[in-house]
Amino acid sequence: MASHRLGQTGLSESSPSGHHYGVLHGINNNTPASAAASTLINQGSAFDFGELEEAIVLQGVEIRNDEGRAPFFTSRPAATTLEMFPSWPIRFQQTHTGGSKSGGESTDSGSGVNTISSKSEPHFEFEPESPISNKKASASSSELHHQKQVMASGGALRTGPSQNQSPAKSPQEKRKGDGSSSSEKQLDAKTLRRLAQNREAARKSRLRKKAYVQQLESSRIKLTQLEQDLQRARSQGLFLGCAGAGGNISSGAAIFDMEYARWLEEDHRHMTELRAALQAGLSDGELRIMVDGYLSHYDEIFRLKGIAAKTDVFHLITGMWTSSAERCFLWMGGFRPSELITMLIQQLEPLAEQQIMGMYGLRHSSQQAEEALSQGHEQLQQSLVDTIAGGPIGDGVQQMVIAMSKLSNLEGFVRQADNLRQQTLHQLCRLLTIRQAARCFLVMAEYYARLRALSSLWASRPRETMMNDENSCQTTTTEFQMVQPPPPPHHHHQNHFAGF
Amino acid sequence: MHYQTAASWGGYVTAVVVGDPLERIERMASENAVVIFSISTCCMCHAIKRLFCGMGVNPTVYELDEDPRGKELERALMRLLGCSSVLPVVFIGGKLIGTMDRVMACHINGTLVPLLKEAGALWL
Repeated sequence: MASHRLGQTGLSESSPSGHHYGVLHGINNNTPASAAASTLINQGSAFDFGELEEAIVLQGVEIRNDEGRAPFFTSRPAATTLEMFPSWPIRFQQTHTGGSKSGGESTDSGSGVNTISSKSEPHFEFEPESPISNKKASASSSELHHQKQVMASGGALRTGPSQNQSPAKSPQEKRKGDGSSSSEKQLDAKTLRRLAQNREAARKSRLRKKAYVQQLESSRIKLTQLEQDLQRARSQGLFLGCAGAGGNISSGAAIFDMEYARWLEEDHRHMTELRAALQAGLSDGELRIMVDGYLSHYDEIFRLKGIAAKTDVFHLITGMWTSSAERCFLWMGGFRPSELITMLIQQLEPLAEQQIMGMYGLRHSSQQAEEALSQGHEQLQQSLVDTIAGGPIGDGVQQMVIAMSKLSNLEGFVRQADNLRQQTLHQLCRLLTIRQAARCFLVMAEYYARLRALSSLWASRPRETMMNDENSCQTTTTEFQMVQPPPPPHHHHQNHFAGF
Repeated sequence: MHYQTAASWGGYVTAVVVGDPLERIERMASENAVVIFSISTCCMCHAIKRLFCGMGVNPTVYELDEDPRGKELERALMRLLGCSSVLPVVFIGGKLIGTMDRVMACHINGTLVPLLKEAGALWL
């Protein structure tokens, strides 16, 4: 586009690439634009200095043309130009005489327009513009609309010039109707300038918006990173002692949380290695090494849980160490082995008859053990209730002492539950072939990873919908009724939903 | 009827009336197919009893807190197994199986049921 126009007007062909020289653009050199320009420069977005050059050129042109007319045009634009480019060599003269072009306009080399303008007479300058201006005039209707929008958006920020420009426009528009050749060129130039300025402003605001969005994105990333750091720090006990939601965490629990987080990372590593190994088709011997390693990895977490059970059994048994979705299925401070086996029987198909029987047998044994532990745990709870609710003989201290000793049994149950889990995993490895065992571990890792992902998604779901859900709960029944077709056969359905 | 010297009892001087506790334990254990030494108020003991009952086994349970010489027996068991919290302890067919840990492990790895069948505690 630029070169086309340049060729059309016979301007120098040595226009640098990337410079848009369609029309000498004007820059509305009031503070907001300059501020915008400076912010754009600071943010390093693709800023077109060529257009700035043109703006300066046009400033010079405008200043020349506006000589003898509204004085605000002469002083202000140059002043704000100075403000806008404090680092630029200012060779601008405030007032221009007829033929000379200011040095500022020719500072940038390789600018075809500038060279032309430095050569040419002032009146010649407008010749390049006139064919262009015709083009511009045709596009002006859309530009006008856009420029109005831009003006409106920048209206709050802009000071004198914008207001001054509008009355200046009307004389321009009036003059446009005159049709005299020289004034027509001048008018076209003014219209062009106005349009160009607005185009420029529009582009600047687009760039501003883009920069703002980029800022938002980076802030969002920073925010999530901060949240992660905060969580990590909290689990490391940096907020020990401070009251609040996550504040009351014992050191034993904090240590375990940290170790569990590390274990999860290890788990991920095991999972990816095993997956790669299965896909690569490694030998059974090599797979066995990896499966054994994975099994030891699980042994490790049970060992860690054993230590944690001594220091803070409540942390384990309430499941605060695990994700919320996993907590949903919590049994005695961890997963329920029989549930896991049920899931595995489905996911590990096809299995040999013997293996299926073995798996079902294992599930049955596990269920019996789970039931026994649950009943024992229930008795403990009942005993605790009796102790705490029972009237104190003397003061309540004795009562508390008894309750404390009963609570200490809790650790034993969590230990036994973990023992059950550990034994189940070992037995699984004995029942299955090495390849099946590898798949088994992969399925487990994937399953729990999904539960964790579900927990995060749930936690980060938009909260505003909660309000809407509450409100819509009452309205859904009526909505249902309205949606349901009215004829009598469906009446029962309507009633059912209404009752719901 | 014999008396144990203090040395063999690790500093405790006791007048044993009927055999030494370990012997007594052995005797008690071999009298029935499944023998559990327990404490009536202990919840883990309750759990182990439920486990065997759930499997259809009818264990013989000795509540050591209700036995006048239960403390001795408990101490003897502690020495036998080498751990401080020893109850409940299970014997099957006169053989020591162990505490809850071992019993669960045996059940999961499938060795418990054959043992029970061998001892005649389980049919089918």
